Amino acid sequence: MSTIVKLESITKVYGIGDIIVNALAGIELSVDAGEYCAIMGTSGSGKSTMMNIIGCLDRPTQGRYYLDGIEVDTLPDNDLARIRNQKLGFVFQQFHLLSQLTALENVMLPMIYAGVPPQERRDRAREALIRVGLEQRLENKPTQLSGGQQQRVAIARAIVNRPVLLLADEPTGALDSTTTDEILDIFGELNASGMTVVMVTHEAEVARRTRRVIWFKDGRVLEANMAPQDVGLVAAG
Amino acid sequence: MDWMESTNMAVKTLTSNKLRTGLTMLGMIIGNASVIAMIGIGQGAQRLASEQFESLGPNVLFVTPGSQGARQRTTFLPRNLVWDDAKAIANEVPSVSGVAPQRQSQIAMTYGGKNRTTLVMGTTPSYLTVRDFDVAKGRFINDVDLERNTRVAILGADVATQFFEDKDPIGERIRIRNTSFEVVGVLQAKGSFLGSNQDDVVYVPLTTTATLLTGRTSPFGLDLTFISISAIDEANIPAAEFQITNLLRRRHKITNEDDFTVQSQKDILRIVGTITGGLTALLAAIAAVSLLVGGIGIMNIMLVSVSERTQEIGLRKAIGASEQDILTQFIIEAVMLSAAGGILGTGVGIAGILLVAAFSPLQAVVSPVAITLAVTVSGTIGLVFGVVPARQAARLDPIVALRSA
Ligand SMILES: Nc1ncnc2c1ncn2[C@@H]1O[C@H](COP(=O)(O)OP(=O)(O)OP(=O)(O)O)[C@@H](O)[C@H]1O
Ligand SMILES: [Mg+2]
Repeated sequence: MSTIVKLESITKVYGIGDIIVNALAGIELSVDAGEYCAIMGTSGSGKSTMMNIIGCLDRPTQGRYYLDGIEVDTLPDNDLARIRNQKLGFVFQQFHLLSQLTALENVMLPMIYAGVPPQERRDRAREALIRVGLEQRLENKPTQLSGGQQQRVAIARAIVNRPVLLLADEPTGALDSTTTDEILDIFGELNASGMTVVMVTHEAEVARRTRRVIWFKDGRVLEANMAPQDVGLVAAG
Repeated sequence: MDWMESTNMAVKTLTSNKLRTGLTMLGMIIGNASVIAMIGIGQGAQRLASEQFESLGPNVLFVTPGSQGARQRTTFLPRNLVWDDAKAIANEVPSVSGVAPQRQSQIAMTYGGKNRTTLVMGTTPSYLTVRDFDVAKGRFINDVDLERNTRVAILGADVATQFFEDKDPIGERIRIRNTSFEVVGVLQAKGSFLGSNQDDVVYVPLTTTATLLTGRTSPFGLDLTFISISAIDEANIPAAEFQITNLLRRRHKITNEDDFTVQSQKDILRIVGTITGGLTALLAAIAAVSLLVGGIGIMNIMLVSVSERTQEIGLRKAIGASEQDILTQFIIEAVMLSAAGGILGTGVGIAGILLVAAFSPLQAVVSPVAITLAVTVSGTIGLVFGVVPARQAARLDPIVALRSA
């Protein structure tokens, strides 16, 4: 089985004036193809910082990062943009849909940057929206959709370019428990069909539906291979 | 991403907030409308002035007393132009076909119970051909009138209607400064010249003005306000100018500075052209400033738009937009805003020109050059002023952009 994410001695240092924050203090981590991981840890422990690095939105201060076998920490910005477009899918807590576009157009957006021809774009966007159960809402604008439906559109947008890795930073943080379940069903199905998923969450119930939990503390990986059913025991920390 | 896609995206953004798009374009619309209208009106004024000078008569030259320099030095009293000068020009200058000495002043006159003060012009029979006037009724001044100082008057078209309305003026008597004159003719209407009404004039024999009306002659003879002269043809104008100047220098015994000025219709046209050209340039400059202000307006709104759309920009970057993609998108938005404003403004400007043309004698011109210029310039302004906000957008850090709520 191939390795999708490999982090070697990754550090991230933020300097705010005289204060230096070691957001990541030497991360060693690998995620194989087909895995479904939850990243947990206290607030400020560096989860989002690491997700941004894995997502090629940010660069580590030191260390090496291999994504799908490519060392990306040395690549120029333009190449990182292409990698985000081709190899990665993002799902955010606040959905981040463009309000002036319909569901279909929002899902078509990554393919515009990928240079996919218009007809294929439309077909693939529709396909992705069907996959997340939104075939009835193709022409609706985000304001005409519920939170859960908006997150489905965002998931469709994240998978439409067939990424090797789906990243989600607290994807259910803004949703109620029923909707959370529905969204997790979709993640589960995607993973079952072979998609590698890494998700940050604060909720034990969410983490329990994944297959591996990575526990963060003070910018370090405290537990790299926790079993999901054990989460409740330490969740309070 | 290609230009088509960027353009589509820009159109979508611009049409999704129509009020803001409209308000942003307003500056550009006003700027372009004023450029088009100002240049049009300026060129119209230029054309109007040229037409009026052409209406003075073909191949006309004017001799006026005093020189440019002499007029500035008040101690110097220029020798007056006199009738004998005019006669000498008529007799001795071969390139001249007609000479009309003119002596004029504003004088009060009455007919029946009506009073008015009108320009009284003493002149000779050649005036008609030199200045290209036609007699509508009766006759003009003749040689007998000149010889005998007859008290006859020929009325300009407006004076005739003011005094006599529908009545036939021929044979009637009007009082000019308490002297009774017989109306012997009426001229055809000619319209106004640079704002002064050429039909509000009463003509009397030159000799009669001197003896009866103004009563003033210079030591050198019967003095004139100016002399109108027609050259044989257009080709002879420079020769006539030269010969008249030489003749008058000799007659006035000039050793250094002329005490008269000879100007052809062309000279005057050139001066008028310079003045109205300068006016057009001034109007265009003012209008160009408003274009610039329009461009700054676009930059302002675009900057606001960039900070409002921070999350959108962050998201676009997260899903794979490069800096170049974002830059292109925002620049295209700015160029489209300003070019569309340019086109709309051109429409408004043309409407303004047509309106001016409909309600005034000024035939303002719709200038294709001005239109091309305005639209190109506004497009360029959009490009230039769009660059700053677009760069700001392109350089946004996606993480910061996405986090901003
Ligand atoms: N841009 C930044 N500048 C300075 N410090 C930062 C910046 N981003 C994050 N940090 C700091 O780095 C540390 C890790 O932050 P991070 O956002 O990764 O935490 P997190 O685990 O995602 O927390 P949460 O669960 O609240 O989302 C924190 O101490 C945070 O204050
Ligand atoms: Mg976080």
